[in-house]
Amino acid sequence: MQLADLPTRRDEAWKYSDLRAALSGGEDRLVRLDAPRGMSPIVRLAKALANGETTRRFVVDDDGEVWTSRLSEDSGRVTTVVAPVGSSGFIFERLSSWADENTRGGLKLSSAWTEFVVEDHASLTRVVMQSSSTQYEAADIVQLGEATVRLGEGAKFRQFILAEGAKLARIETHVRIEGEGAEVELNGVYLCAEGRHADLTSVVTHVAANSQTRQLIKGVACKGGRGVFQGKILVEKGAQKSDARQYHHGMLLEEGAEIFAKPELMIHADDVACAHGNTAGGLDESALFYMRSRGLPELEARALLIEAFLLEAVPDWVEGEVRAEIEARIGAWLRA
Amino acid sequence: MKLEIDNLHVAVGAAEIVKGLTLAVPAGETHAIMGPNGSGKSTLAYALSGRDGYEVTQGAASLDGVDLLALAPEQRAAQGLFLSFQYPVEIPGLSAIAFLKAALNAQRKARGLEPMAAPALLKLMREKAAALKISDEMLKRPLNVGFSGGEKKRFEALQMAVLAPRFAVLDETDSGLDIDALKLVAENVNALRTPERGFLVITHYQRLLDYIKPDKVHVFAGGRIVKTGGPELALELERDGYDKYLRAA
Repeated sequence: MQLADLPTRRDEAWKYSDLRAALSGGEDRLVRLDAPRGMSPIVRLAKALANGETTRRFVVDDDGEVWTSRLSEDSGRVTTVVAPVGSSGFIFERLSSWADENTRGGLKLSSAWTEFVVEDHASLTRVVMQSSSTQYEAADIVQLGEATVRLGEGAKFRQFILAEGAKLARIETHVRIEGEGAEVELNGVYLCAEGRHADLTSVVTHVAANSQTRQLIKGVACKGGRGVFQGKILVEKGAQKSDARQYHHGMLLEEGAEIFAKPELMIHADDVACAHGNTAGGLDESALFYMRSRGLPELEARALLIEAFLLEAVPDWVEGEVRAEIEARIGAWLRA
Repeated sequence: MKLEIDNLHVAVGAAEIVKGLTLAVPAGETHAIMGPNGSGKSTLAYALSGRDGYEVTQGAASLDGVDLLALAPEQRAAQGLFLSFQYPVEIPGLSAIAFLKAALNAQRKARGLEPMAAPALLKLMREKAAALKISDEMLKRPLNVGFSGGEKKRFEALQMAVLAPRFAVLDETDSGLDIDALKLVAENVNALRTPERGFLVITHYQRLLDYIKPDKVHVFAGGRIVKTGGPELALELERDGYDKYLRAA
């Protein structure tokens, strides 16, 4: 694989996340990869990095098997998860990298491709946590993830992603609603400190009628950090009575922070209910003063306001230890 | 707690709004500041609580001898100053319970006190909320988000009751309140009147002063106090308007 095989900002889908630029300097690593052609860059890299390892296949069992996956640096993985008719399962994935004094230097690239097949009346819940070293700079870490989801009749797919970014971290979710009455929820939070880039990209295609999509993405960026949200909802001609809502709200915490958003609704059916909203702004200074006037120190008032802003995107179904970890990570990030 | 303001000048941008205001509210007293709309009453309130953009260019303000102007807004709160906002701000995602817990314990920390434990705090909040006819459900909703004007003012009164400040500035507490809500809020303010606590009530209309009876009334026009009198002064203003003071200013 060559650097030239990878997309740049001149490719529409990658215009805010220049993969070629992020991997430049990693030519030696790429050249050793044998990537199949004709697929998306993330899938190609996942297959190549998986190093001939066969596709792992999981079937959600009757008890709603909990499947946990951890993908660390310099590796690839291709996985298929099937939720059979009527089943329900929970998926927890970590995309984590860490650099320490010994492993510092040089490109660390990981890519994961996961295919989800959610059969009729089955329900899958997925939580993804993307993080990279906090102890050392994340400058050399590139983390990629792509999920391809197919939904049957009355099927349900719920997802929450927490992304802390890296030199470049991009998590794509592609959902095809093939059965009537399916429900999709795609929420996420990104936290982009200085030098971090986090990209949440999704495409939901409503093929069948009477289906619902709910999406709420929130994120914050500091000076020198970049957050990207690209969300496309495509309602095909036959997908009447589709109900889709997509919201993205970004908060620029400092001058020099960057947030890019590309929301897209493409509707080819005539009897649908669709709404979207997209904002990017700073912290509400009047709210900050209000809180300080009640005795909250400025840093704590800021942290509480931003925390409250972000936690609205964490769905109620994220519970227990997973929720505790997400809240702790957000809280620690804001108070770092 | 005694509030002393001496020759205070406040500028917002290039415009000087408060132009030499002098006022003393002794402990245990309630004073009213009345003035026409746009006279800078809220500017005074914001300057006292330390809002950015409200620049004190001259003069002094102190609470029991502590220089307020040298302190950050949160430090003024820790000194016991409370501002009831004319337009309370929406705090999305943070319930009144969470907000008040954080605020009260931040103030206690600044005063060197242990944080109040959650059960005791919740009990205190519920008790004060009940007096203001605020339901448990309302306490759990994001503070001020989608609240009516009256609900917001009741929540300001709730915060004041829970935080138990030593001096409170009430900025246009009557605006947006119907008569029943006004009476309720006034009752709760009156319940907080003690020989130690002082109040500065800023209002445009005399109506509020029927329910929160002031010891003194100050007329604020042209950026300074132009007349001081007893409660009867409020009645005179209600009858004759502010015209004669505006001309004098």
